[in-house]
Amino acid sequence: MNFFLGFFVGLKEIWAHKFRSFLTMLGIILGVASLLSMFALTAGMAKGMREFMQQIGGIEKVGIIPQELSGKQEGIWEISPGRTVADAEIISRSPLVSHVTPISMLANAAVQRAGNTFRTEVSGCWPDFVPINKHVVATGRNLCPLDLELGLRVCVIGRLVVERLWPERPKYDPIGETIKINDRPFKIIGIFEFYEREEDKRKRELGIDPAKDAVKGPRPPPRPGGGMRGWNPFDRKNSTIIMPISTMFWEFKSASVVGGVDSGPQFKLDGLSFQIADTARFDETLEQVRNAVLTTHRGIEDFNFDTRQEWFDNIEKNVRSTRVSFGFISAISLLVGGIGITNIMLASITERIREIGVRRAVGAKGRDIFIQIVVESAVIGFIGGLFGLVASKGFLKIITYFSPAENAPVIELNSVLVSFCFAVVIGVLSGLYPAFRASRLDPIEALRYG
Amino acid sequence: MALIELRDVTKRYLVGEQEIRALDGITLDIAQGEFASIIGPSGSGKSTLMHLLGCLDTPSTGSMHIDGIDVTRATGNRLAELRNAKIGFVFQSFNLLPKFNVLQNVELPMIYSNVSASERRTRALAAIERVELSHRVKNTPLQLSGGQMQRVAIARALVNKPKIIFADEPTGNLDSKTGATILALFRELSEAGSTIVIVTHDNKIAAQTPRRIEIQDGKIVENAMPVSA
Repeated sequence: MNFFLGFFVGLKEIWAHKFRSFLTMLGIILGVASLLSMFALTAGMAKGMREFMQQIGGIEKVGIIPQELSGKQEGIWEISPGRTVADAEIISRSPLVSHVTPISMLANAAVQRAGNTFRTEVSGCWPDFVPINKHVVATGRNLCPLDLELGLRVCVIGRLVVERLWPERPKYDPIGETIKINDRPFKIIGIFEFYEREEDKRKRELGIDPAKDAVKGPRPPPRPGGGMRGWNPFDRKNSTIIMPISTMFWEFKSASVVGGVDSGPQFKLDGLSFQIADTARFDETLEQVRNAVLTTHRGIEDFNFDTRQEWFDNIEKNVRSTRVSFGFISAISLLVGGIGITNIMLASITERIREIGVRRAVGAKGRDIFIQIVVESAVIGFIGGLFGLVASKGFLKIITYFSPAENAPVIELNSVLVSFCFAVVIGVLSGLYPAFRASRLDPIEALRYG
Repeated sequence: MALIELRDVTKRYLVGEQEIRALDGITLDIAQGEFASIIGPSGSGKSTLMHLLGCLDTPSTGSMHIDGIDVTRATGNRLAELRNAKIGFVFQSFNLLPKFNVLQNVELPMIYSNVSASERRTRALAAIERVELSHRVKNTPLQLSGGQMQRVAIARALVNKPKIIFADEPTGNLDSKTGATILALFRELSEAGSTIVIVTHDNKIAAQTPRRIEIQDGKIVENAMPVSA
């Protein structure tokens, strides 16, 4: 007997007992649905995390942060000038580094235009700030070396800044307009593109009114201590304002050159970050940068690297372990469904002992009967799996309705395949024992039965 | 060489501690084209004999050949192949599969002998025509009368062109008139060359077959050969 025929015999048997088959399948349907929903939820979670990591510069962005001196160097911190523009200049010589920028900040600057005030962080930097932080200048231009040379009062701003300062025309591109940063006039030379999550972008392109959906569009500033919920990692990026670091220094920081061995024009930075050209040579690059910066710091190890590698590793590890534990629980529910199949198949062969006897009498081997029963239960798994995939759509709708998490579930093709195949495998496995029992029936006994 | 040769066959069962001799020293030949009946009261061993002859079981001792093939020590799979290729069964209670229609029931033996779907259909339709049920091909057994069901069963027994057809009380569940038509059908088949063995406890039926094999307490007590043979 070939499998194709077995498949149809199985279908017929299932169709002959529609309600019973449906109840049997329900275990598989719910199992597959929960397995796939779990995959989709964790995939959505992972995607959200990766997006966030990408928008804060990805794994290739490395910051240089100050570090307390320890052990043999204790007490001689004064020898080092600390993080200065000279560090950035020396790092820029490394062929392993693609971009580097020094950063000097105004943490809570008042940005004003025509009576609208917006308090935000303003960074003085090099043009490289833009690629390092994965910014894209949508209109106008980025800072340029001449702006730095001349210390021009120019700035590039994010979309959210425009929305705050021109609340009546949020779509306006105010190139050439003047805004005030801490009472100094600055000319807008460029505007960054609007950063948003993939799903928000899709929704916007589909024409869903952003105002009706509280999750996106112009939004109030993040509530302090509001936690993850309702917090959009893209808000901060959209509120970016940058100016040449020389301008920052002359306009706002010239009074802050103090202390240390060098009291010259070198002023201390608030941040220093660079981008690794090739992440495959990650450790090598860090070593080279360390060597370079040790020269400008006169051998004092008062700095360290702030890499995202650990973050990435942690995220991947979290995703994996969540997957495994959720998957385990869902797999158990599928297994329970499989036990249901075994139970029904056992009942069904008892009901069909006579049929099995007839089949044996006309020439079916034990093996043929075995295949028939296994195929039948595999068909239950197969159909249950298909329905389960459909049902998981509904599951996800319900889940997202009751808890509209930040990260929408993502249904990946391979998780669909895994859940479906698992259902079929469970179907086959749960048919094995009943099939074995059926194939061992003595034809004479079976014919006499009932 | 006879189609079926039994030499000093015994069949024993263990029921608890006690050994039951269902068949005791049976020696029997059935030739190609014979129309025979095996008769005996219930408990005489006639069913056991039919199970042996029908390759549903193997003897405890003695030897048994079917169509020249030694089946004395055949395995379950080998027996299944022989049943499929050489033997057709007709049962008292018809034993049709209730969820399948007439055509599918008749096709059943060919499913296990790897006959292509189109040939299955052609051969099954021919067998159904042979038993004059072509107008009920799409009906299920539950929609048929007893006589019609038994004719479907006969078509199923015929469809693989077996060497021999065994009928176990084929008229037992039928009224006498229908039973007579079924017996007439067997006679026709016999005249057309089929080897047929009917197992019965009814002397009136046994009287209608040329050869009569009577069995009692596991032994053959009468083995009347047809006069012409």
